[in-house]
Amino acid sequence: MENGPKKWGFQGKQELNAAAATTVRGFLNMLMGNLNKDDSRPVIPLGHGDPSHFPSFATTPAAADAIVDALRQGKYNCYAPTVGILPARRAIADYLNRDLPYKLLADDVYLTIGCTQAIEVVSSVLSRPGANILLPIPGFPYYETCAAYNRLEVRHFDLLPEKGWEVDLDAIETIADENTVAMVIINPGNPCGNVFSYDHLKKVAETARKLGILVIADEVYDSLAFGSTQYVPMRVFGSTVPVLTLGSISKRWIVPGWRLGWLVTSDPNGILQKSGVIDSIIGFLNISSDPATFIQVKLNLSMLEDINDDMEFCLKLAKEESVIILPGIAVGLKNWLRITFAIESSSLEEGLARVKAFCQRHAKKQ
Amino acid sequence: MLMERLNKEDSRPVIPLGHGDPSHFSSFRTAAAAEDAIIDSLRSAKYNCYAPAVGILPARRAIADYLNRDLPYKLSPDDVYLTIGCTQAIEVALAVLVHPGANILLPRPGYPYYEACAAYNGLEFRHFDLLPERDWAVDLNAVEGLADENTVAMVIINPRNPCGNVFSYEHLKKTMTRSWCLDIGDEAYDNLAFGSTPYVPTRVLGSTVPVLTLGLISKKWIVPGWRLGWLVTSDPNGILRESGIIESIKGFLNISSDPATFIQVKLNLSMLEGIDNDMEFCLKLAKEESVIILPGVAMGLKNWLRITFAVEPSSLEEGLTRIKAFCQRHAKKH
Repeated sequence: MENGPKKWGFQGKQELNAAAATTVRGFLNMLMGNLNKDDSRPVIPLGHGDPSHFPSFATTPAAADAIVDALRQGKYNCYAPTVGILPARRAIADYLNRDLPYKLLADDVYLTIGCTQAIEVVSSVLSRPGANILLPIPGFPYYETCAAYNRLEVRHFDLLPEKGWEVDLDAIETIADENTVAMVIINPGNPCGNVFSYDHLKKVAETARKLGILVIADEVYDSLAFGSTQYVPMRVFGSTVPVLTLGSISKRWIVPGWRLGWLVTSDPNGILQKSGVIDSIIGFLNISSDPATFIQVKLNLSMLEDINDDMEFCLKLAKEESVIILPGIAVGLKNWLRITFAIESSSLEEGLARVKAFCQRHAKKQ
Repeated sequence: MLMERLNKEDSRPVIPLGHGDPSHFSSFRTAAAAEDAIIDSLRSAKYNCYAPAVGILPARRAIADYLNRDLPYKLSPDDVYLTIGCTQAIEVALAVLVHPGANILLPRPGYPYYEACAAYNGLEFRHFDLLPERDWAVDLNAVEGLADENTVAMVIINPRNPCGNVFSYEHLKKTMTRSWCLDIGDEAYDNLAFGSTPYVPTRVLGSTVPVLTLGLISKKWIVPGWRLGWLVTSDPNGILRESGIIESIKGFLNISSDPATFIQVKLNLSMLEGIDNDMEFCLKLAKEESVIILPGVAMGLKNWLRITFAVEPSSLEEGLTRIKAFCQRHAKKH
């Protein structure tokens, strides 16, 4: 390489490699690596859990039809709002409202890329220097992974096998302190499969309230409950303690590859709003890109009367001519204007005619 | 902010010339072939499952083939990582490069998401100017002044966003060799180049300086809502591998969740010979009986076993039969 640098300034990060190794996938990869290649029998995979490629577990045609319809309409190829489109959020709110004493709104629902991203959002939003989160053992290792990545300290509490895997509430009270932000409860349980009783969840809610921590209710397996205990979602206790409900369509519809999940704030007392958690959730999801196009013009302010910069130009143009143009300051170029040409031609012509009229009206009188 | 200023009394339609997503205008509808491809995949029912974190092989191969058309060296599908739009490609690139005290060089004017992402990751950013009087060429003297031993990368957006110009081959080469750091070649608008300068993708110079190529289908196919992008390591000299960047990219994408199911049994080790824990049980079972079950230690429950029942019933029966044979073979002799 011609006259390269003495040393390259970049290198890999150990903590990313370490975090990846602790996942279930990591363990399975290790076991797969131990298979005997000379064994001619088919491998029986009983270690993972995604059955969607087995014919017996294909999703219903109605689900596939819904996707095809949405695609053919051509209305959803554009960038979506970062919190998800309204019809979807409304549908999820309606679904979750079926068993609630208070009502969720569409605005309480945030669409995520699978329940995975919902876990990432809560881990990121709640982390702060010195904070800790309470996680169940046995549990779902991705919580530990996400906490590690966000530098959120993890403290474990046991689920008690002799009591149907109920939460050890005494342990919760012992390990929580003033830096504890939340506890996670997975219901129906993963990996244990248990369903928590109403009475037990009520005690969990009251304990969390006493400790001043919120409850993250991972209900990705809701509606896949086995056994005789009636399934009760944690959000039923949202007026006792704020609940962040995490869910997805992956398990019920057997479409984990479609990546559609949600984070829902179940908090009729508005505590999450007051504490700023809602703003943080929106902020996290809104760190998003925006589409962009290419025409830029430099503003000659000396030719304009009473317009001092690009922002003022654009604000007045919006008000007087109902035309939206981006001031260059938004892309780091003060006193330039960024105008897209990627719209219907007739609209573009109309728009430019109005911009011209605006400029003539504001021209300095000679 | 601007939309709020609109005069509600104005009966004329609002003309939106400020954003850039034309996909909801009928003149800008994507090709039927694109929609058909999605529908075919959906109806095949082969892709409803969790995908590998780096993306499925046919897609990665297709992208490698596409990018190889204008390269003096060849990319392999393993150099390609699928991402959720180019947005996530930017997130991955910055997340793997950041370390305490590091800085990144960003163009001005540029694409504000780089600044937002850098800020979120605690990565210092330093701006180099594009010179309007020279058709938005990079201010090369400025670049040399900005880069230091903590500079991890420089971002080159080509074709330029927002300026729209295209780098000439000579200018691209001079820019890349002025800073001698890894280049992030943002090709979101590749082949949507206007003007007379032939478009040369940054990755063409991957043997001079390692390049992380970021791309997507959103612009060319007018489907930004489909969220399909890529990060490609264009580095025939293997510098990204030696420095551990490749491992970090994989590590970042592999911090992913896994599917799960529900049957657990507690292992009674006192009844087994030569097996001391759940991991050993599972490793031997894999080797001797070609059955995979998850050791409980993976979920924080040592010496338990997690067995899924969500497979075809005949496979489940076969699997349990093999487990039984294994246990009998390893039972303690009395």
